[in-house]
Amino acid sequence: MERREVLKLVVLAALSRRLNALEGAVPGCSMPTDAVAPPPIDYKLQFFTEDENKLVDQLMEMIIPADGHSPGARTARASLFADQMLSSSEDAVKKQWRDGLSLVREQAKVVSLIEVLDKAAANEENPKTDLERFFVVLKGMTIYGYYTSEVGIHQDLEYTGNTFLRSFPECTHPEHQG
Amino acid sequence: MQKASEVYDVCVVGSGAAGGVMAKELCEGGAKVVVLEAGRQVPNAELPSHKWPYELPYRGLRSEKQAPFYQGDIVQSIRYADSDQVGVDRVRIVGGRTMHWNAVTLRYAARDFKERSMQGIEEDWPITYEEIAPYYERIEQLIGVCGNDDGLEILPAGKSYLRPIPWRCSEHILKRATNAMGIKLIAVRKALATQSHDHRPACHYCGHCMDGCDIGAIFNTPGSMFPKARATGNFTLRENALAREILVDKEGLATAVSFVDTQTRRELQVKARIVVVCASTVESARLLLNSRSSQHPGGIANSNGIVGKYLHGHLGSQVSIYLEELQGGKTSNQDGATDHVYIPRYNHLSGKSDVAGGWGMQVNFQSYMFPHHAHRLRGYGSSFKQNVRKMQPGYLQMGSFAKVTAGPENHVTVDPARLDANGIPIPVVRFRFSQNDQALWKQANQSMLEMFSHLKGKVFSTFGDAPAGFASHEVGTIRMGKDPQTSVLNGYCQAREVKNLFVTDGSCFTTSSEKNPTLTIMALSMRTADYIKEQRRRGEL
Repeated sequence: MERREVLKLVVLAALSRRLNALEGAVPGCSMPTDAVAPPPIDYKLQFFTEDENKLVDQLMEMIIPADGHSPGARTARASLFADQMLSSSEDAVKKQWRDGLSLVREQAKVVSLIEVLDKAAANEENPKTDLERFFVVLKGMTIYGYYTSEVGIHQDLEYTGNTFLRSFPECTHPEHQG
Repeated sequence: MQKASEVYDVCVVGSGAAGGVMAKELCEGGAKVVVLEAGRQVPNAELPSHKWPYELPYRGLRSEKQAPFYQGDIVQSIRYADSDQVGVDRVRIVGGRTMHWNAVTLRYAARDFKERSMQGIEEDWPITYEEIAPYYERIEQLIGVCGNDDGLEILPAGKSYLRPIPWRCSEHILKRATNAMGIKLIAVRKALATQSHDHRPACHYCGHCMDGCDIGAIFNTPGSMFPKARATGNFTLRENALAREILVDKEGLATAVSFVDTQTRRELQVKARIVVVCASTVESARLLLNSRSSQHPGGIANSNGIVGKYLHGHLGSQVSIYLEELQGGKTSNQDGATDHVYIPRYNHLSGKSDVAGGWGMQVNFQSYMFPHHAHRLRGYGSSFKQNVRKMQPGYLQMGSFAKVTAGPENHVTVDPARLDANGIPIPVVRFRFSQNDQALWKQANQSMLEMFSHLKGKVFSTFGDAPAGFASHEVGTIRMGKDPQTSVLNGYCQAREVKNLFVTDGSCFTTSSEKNPTLTIMALSMRTADYIKEQRRRGEL
C-alpha cells in the first residue's frame, strides 16, 4: 500500500471517530460521511512541463520539508496544486513563474539549489530582483498548497475543527481569566 | 412583454433581511404579497460550508464556497469610478444577505439617530431610538439573538436573549487588555440559536457562519420568515426575477414591477398596489434610477436628485496576535461560531474629540483552519514550518468597524451604456473617504495596537496606507430624512413623491454608526410593515 493511501486511511479513521462520537448530534446536518476526497492520482500537468514540475516540487519541499512531525510539500502534492492554479491564471502570472523557474535553473548550474533559494529569500520583506520576487510568489503558493491539503490540515496542524459539537467548551483555565 | 393579470396588494423586491421580514409581516396582516428575488433558492443542505479545501477545485481560493451567494453576473455587473478602496458586496440568492452573514445584531443607540444634535455633523434621523425600540424588541425575539444585557447606553439591550456563546481561551486573555484600557469586552449578540429557537436547531460550532449555515442555526429568511408567510396563504415567491423597473400610472404612482426571468430571459411584470424595495443599498438605488418615465424623468421618487447619493458604509481594519501563552499548546477545536465576543464603542467616553464617530470591534471572525500567519513569517525550511505550527494555537484576531460619514458627493449612478447580462444598466459607484473618516480609521488602528500592547505575542496588522471599507455594510442611497431637499423617504420609509413606494433596506439609513446595520434594517422593515398595514386599513394605500 502506498504511503498516500495509508495517510488517507488514517485521516478517514480519525474523521470517522469524530463523526461516530457525534452521531445524531445535529438533525438535518449535511456533513458528508466521505469527507476526504481521494488524492488526484491521475492528475495530468496543465501548465508545468515535467521538468518544471520536478523543480517546483524540489523547491516546495525545501520550503516546507518533511520532518519528524509530518510530511512536507511533496507528499501534499503542492506542485500539482500550483499547476492547477497557474493553468487558469493570467498570462503575466504564468510568465513570472516560467521566467522564475528558468532563472532558478540557470543559477543552479553554478551553485547548489539551496544556495539559490537562500539568495532568493534574502529580501523577502522588500524583494528587488526577479529572483527575489519569484521566491515570494513561490513561497506563497507553497503555503496555500500545503496548508489547504489533507497533510497540512490534518497531519501537520492537527486541526480538529470543521465538525459538530453539542456544545462549545468554555475556557475555564484559571490562568487565562481576564 | 408578458402582462400579469393578478394584482397583488404588495410587491416586495428582494428577499433578504428587509424583504423577508416585510413579506412575513404583511402576509400575516392579510395582504397578498409577491416577492421578486433575482436569485434562486439554495437549500441549506446544498451549501458547501463543510467541504474541506482539498475537496474544492481551487481549495476555496477562488471563492468556490461563496459561489451560491453570488449568482449570475452579480459580481461583474458593477463599475467603480473615481473611488477609494471600497467594495460593494451584492448577494444574489433567495434569502439575500441572511444566507451569507455573520449574524452580528446590534441595536443602534439613541445618539446614533442624532448625529447632528450630538456631534454637529450630518443630519438627525426623522425617527428616534424610542420610536424604533419596540421593533428592536420584536425582531430580536423573532429571530433569536444570543448575548446579554450589558447595561451599556451605547449598546442598548432587549428584555431577554438566548444564552451567550462560551468564550475561547484567547478571548478571556483579551479581557486583560480591555480591562487595562478600561473598556468593555462583552458577549457578542448574534442571530444565532445557541439553543433551539423557532424550530431552528442549536448551533454546532463548526465555524462556517459566513459560508452559509447548513442547518439554519443562524437566522435566515427562507428558513424563518417564509414558512410563516406561506402559512397565511398570501405569499408568492418569484425566484430568478431580476427587477428592471418600477412602472407608474399617469399620476406617477407605482402600479407594477417589470422584471427579467434570468433563466428564460423573458420580460415579465407583476402588478401591485404597493411596491416595497428591499434589494440592498446599491441595487435598490439602481432600480429607482432605472425607473424613468415622463412622470419621473430622473428616476422614480428622484425629483430632488437625491436617489443614489449619500452612499456610505463601514471602514474596516484587521489585526491579529499570536499569544505567547497559547503557542505550542495542544491543538484544540476553536472554530466555534466565529465571533463570540464584541468590544462596543468606547472612544465617546473619553471626552471631547475632534473626530466624529467611533468604532466597535469584532473578534475571531476568521477561520482557524488556515494558518494566516504563515504568509507573514520570514524564511523557509524546517524552522519555518515548526514556527507556523507552534504559533497557530495562539491565534487571536480582531477587526474594527468604524463609522463613515454620509455625504452627497459619494453616490451610485447607472450607466445606460453598459448593460448587465439581462440588459439592465449597471450601477456605477463613486466613493471617497472624508477627512473625518481617515482620521477615525487611524485612531481605530492605533487603539487596536494599543490593546494588543497589553498582551504578549507577535502582532500582524494589515492596515496598509489608506483606509478600505464597506465590509458588506453599505447604506444610505435612498435615505429617509426630515428635510425633503436632502432625503427621499419620510420616517416610515415611504417615498414622499410616490406614496405607494417604500424602501426598507440599508439604503434608507440617514446616517451610519459603527454598528452592523442588519438588526436596524429588520426593525425598520417591521415598523414600516405596521405602517403599511395601518394605512391599508384606513384606505390610504
